[in-house]
Amino acid sequence: MGVPGRADDHRWSQQHLSHYVDADLRPRARRRLDRHARDCVDCGRGIRAMRALVYSVQALDGLAGVRAPATIFDRVRAAGASGSPSPRGA
Amino acid sequence: MTPPSGGTPATEAALVARAQAGDVGAFEQLSGAYADRLYMLLLRLLGDRDEAGDVAQEVMLRAWQGIGRFQGRSSYFTWLYRIAVNEANRALEKRARQPAGVSLGPEELQLPAPPADDPSRQAEVSELRLALGQALAELPPALRAAIVLRDVEGLSTQEAAEIAGVSQAAFKSRLHQARLRVRAAIGDEALVTAGG
Repeated sequence: MGVPGRADDHRWSQQHLSHYVDADLRPRARRRLDRHARDCVDCGRGIRAMRALVYSVQALDGLAGVRAPATIFDRVRAAGASGSPSPRGA
Repeated sequence: MTPPSGGTPATEAALVARAQAGDVGAFEQLSGAYADRLYMLLLRLLGDRDEAGDVAQEVMLRAWQGIGRFQGRSSYFTWLYRIAVNEANRALEKRARQPAGVSLGPEELQLPAPPADDPSRQAEVSELRLALGQALAELPPALRAAIVLRDVEGLSTQEAAEIAGVSQAAFKSRLHQARLRVRAAIGDEALVTAGG
């Protein structure tokens, strides 16, 4: 479903949707995708879906209050207590 | 989200030097600043609290054993996170060789509660939570790490690539593949309706 005369635009745009939503395209490349997506239903939907996906995954970041178990250094302490060699030589 | 600070660079460098000289207390102080976040990362990558706790202990042990080789070319945070991702991948590979897998549940992913005031919206968001958890759980470890480091942890591409041990270009490619797979698993309509 590429724009007539720019047959490669559709495939190229699909490959760069992720970069697009991360604002990780150079201005010229971004304009290319913008131009194509204006006329391409698939790519327009792809941009919306990719944005929604990134937003949804970012919303997973809700671990406030989660603490590491108190045992997290147990093996380090055991290694230290057992007279392990200095880490410099490890 | 920026990486947590383990103190001023001078303090951190001093703690590294003391830890490298064999001071366990300094190592605990240095690494303890990142312990909670490191545990959260493992929880997201592994989806199981017991396993995340076990791997977190292993990460700290490996960091302690290897701190003599830490030369400060990357930040201590990046170095520690890289060990964590490697250990998580090792645990996932071990798990893959076992008959039953453990899937990431909403509790492990700590998805925000859906809005309570609109039942239909609540159902859509709940459905998206489950689908997202399932889709992330089914990603190969390298792709899952890419999406967790970049999109959940909010690290820069440069940092995330360094932690994953690949070039930025390779990392971007992994991230794109990961997002495409999750998108395909969930479907555009569900994403845009519930997540948009």
